[in-house]
Amino acid sequence: MNQLRSLRSQETTLARFVCVVLLTLLVLFVTFFLPPVADSQLAGGAAITIVILGLSWLIGWSGQISLGNSGFMAVGAYAAGIWAHHHNATPLIFTFVLAMVMGAFSGLIIAIPSTRLRGPYLAGMTLAFSAAITPLAQNFTSVTGGEGGLFFNELTTPSWFQHLFSGQNATINANAQWTADLAVVVAGVMFFFMANLFHSRTGRAMRLVRDNDVAAELMGINLPLTRTLAFVIAAAFAGLGGALYAVINATVTPSTFPLTLSITLLTLMVLGGIGTLSGAVIGGIIYSFSANLVSHINALTGVNPASNLGANMQGIIFGTLLILTMLFAPTGIAGLRRPIRRLTKFRRRLATTENVK
Amino acid sequence: MANFLASQFMHNIFSGLAQGVLYSLIALSLVIIWQSTHVLNFAQGAMAMFATYLGMTEIDRGVGYWWCVIISVIAGVIFGGLAERVLIRPLYGKPEINPIVVMIGFLGVIEAVATAIWTSTTRNITSPFSQIYFHANGQVILLSPFVIFQIILAIVIMLLVAALFRFTKLGLQLRASALAPEVARLLGVRVNRMLTIGWMLSAGVGAVAAVIIASGTFGLFPTNMDGIFVAGFIAAAVGGLESPIGAIAGGLLIGLAEQFILSYWSATLAPLGGLLILVVALMIRPQGIFTKAVGRRV
Repeated sequence: MNQLRSLRSQETTLARFVCVVLLTLLVLFVTFFLPPVADSQLAGGAAITIVILGLSWLIGWSGQISLGNSGFMAVGAYAAGIWAHHHNATPLIFTFVLAMVMGAFSGLIIAIPSTRLRGPYLAGMTLAFSAAITPLAQNFTSVTGGEGGLFFNELTTPSWFQHLFSGQNATINANAQWTADLAVVVAGVMFFFMANLFHSRTGRAMRLVRDNDVAAELMGINLPLTRTLAFVIAAAFAGLGGALYAVINATVTPSTFPLTLSITLLTLMVLGGIGTLSGAVIGGIIYSFSANLVSHINALTGVNPASNLGANMQGIIFGTLLILTMLFAPTGIAGLRRPIRRLTKFRRRLATTENVK
Repeated sequence: MANFLASQFMHNIFSGLAQGVLYSLIALSLVIIWQSTHVLNFAQGAMAMFATYLGMTEIDRGVGYWWCVIISVIAGVIFGGLAERVLIRPLYGKPEINPIVVMIGFLGVIEAVATAIWTSTTRNITSPFSQIYFHANGQVILLSPFVIFQIILAIVIMLLVAALFRFTKLGLQLRASALAPEVARLLGVRVNRMLTIGWMLSAGVGAVAAVIIASGTFGLFPTNMDGIFVAGFIAAAVGGLESPIGAIAGGLLIGLAEQFILSYWSATLAPLGGLLILVVALMIRPQGIFTKAVGRRV
């Protein structure tokens, strides 16, 4: 532990790498023991984590509000879908890179008029973008497949993985687990990138632009370029997350990325903690298991899940949580660390003073 | 004349204007809130929808249409005041993302609660005005008594709001507390109360728009205001968020643009019209077309 700590102060990138690898391995280990349903939920959560990482970077670090990330997700997913439609046998990694590039490109297009805007104008501009994506996908049916959408080939589990995995219903379980593991590894890689980006020169410049753009400009930071870069990176992450999400579900339709998804993303990011890496992961985990959580709450309160109220419980709980978080704990779950640490430190100090007595 | 009124061009003008006045009303209500508290209320449409449900379901109990309208508007006004007091007041002076996020959360709660109570099926409300289009020499003119009522009511509401701000003592106090809160407070204006009244007024205007929309062919369902809110916001942003005239003009512009795209290009692409107008308008003048550019003090 001490070695890790000293490593952290000297070789920060290496330490970050070790931490991410350990965390990813831990989650991979866990997937071996989860039922297939939980595995596929986890896969969706990993995809959403990638999107939230980008959103957290954009809102938390560059201070630009975006409600358009579901639109960027749709761009990435459709780029992957259209490519897979014509070129069946492309390796998955190529599809993902393509989705990132197309997502980044759409981010650039939106950023050019948007970076001159602030606060509510920006929120509305990006909102209008994500509202316009669904009609676009519905309209150009020859490319996007219209309402029916596009289909991906089912992910095939490699044989070595199936051998490694021995269960009663081996193929179904192995497929779900392979999907989850793949998604978790991709999320781990993107987490590592974002962790480095947060602490890079660009990341520091971004924070200065957020806190005091005049000072940033005086330091020689190119404001429009920095703001545009924030959008492009967030959109690339969202594009990849969208493509991963579509590949996991093996389909992409206009209704996969509704306007409300942007709101869900924002909720998850705020709940996890704006502008924190761990917050994005917490958000992804909440997304994965929100259905279980809601049915648990339904069971606790005795609400019939098939009733009208039960079906809308998720919206009510999440909306209320979002409001309460913003009003009373704006730093989210990740931000709770600080008061807890302060409390433990206080207790320790209390203990030592008692010992002295 | 009848031929001209029944032409495709005039069809588009009539439908565009009818839709545009609704966008204008929503845009106007957003501008009122923006002027008084510098908050963009993302739950504006949903709050109006909920108020409309509260009033309009009274029809089932045999209450007359106009009483239901009044109940809806009063519910909207109370709702607006409560939202400002409970949700927005603790957030003054915080980063501008905080009220936006809170109102987005509120939007989610309202829509979920409305779906839980009234289900997501569309409810059609019979208004006292006919929806059947006029005819002239056997040709259809895209105007019905209801559409005329819709346009006239919207104009009346806009004039009332304008008169309130321009000619009454309350309007003067509202403008004063928006423009210079400290000075207004020193001169004896209860600024906090003015902020609440601004929200109540805005929610009332929004409720009127929602009632008209619910009574028309669009019907009432829990998410029926989503698209209209986006269009109304775009209208307000094109006008500059500060200017009521700009909001109204922006609303009409968006309504007409959507109608012409729908007519000459594609029905599904109509929502793109708003986005295109917004991009072009913001590229030319990032602070909106109808507002003076304000230099930021360093």
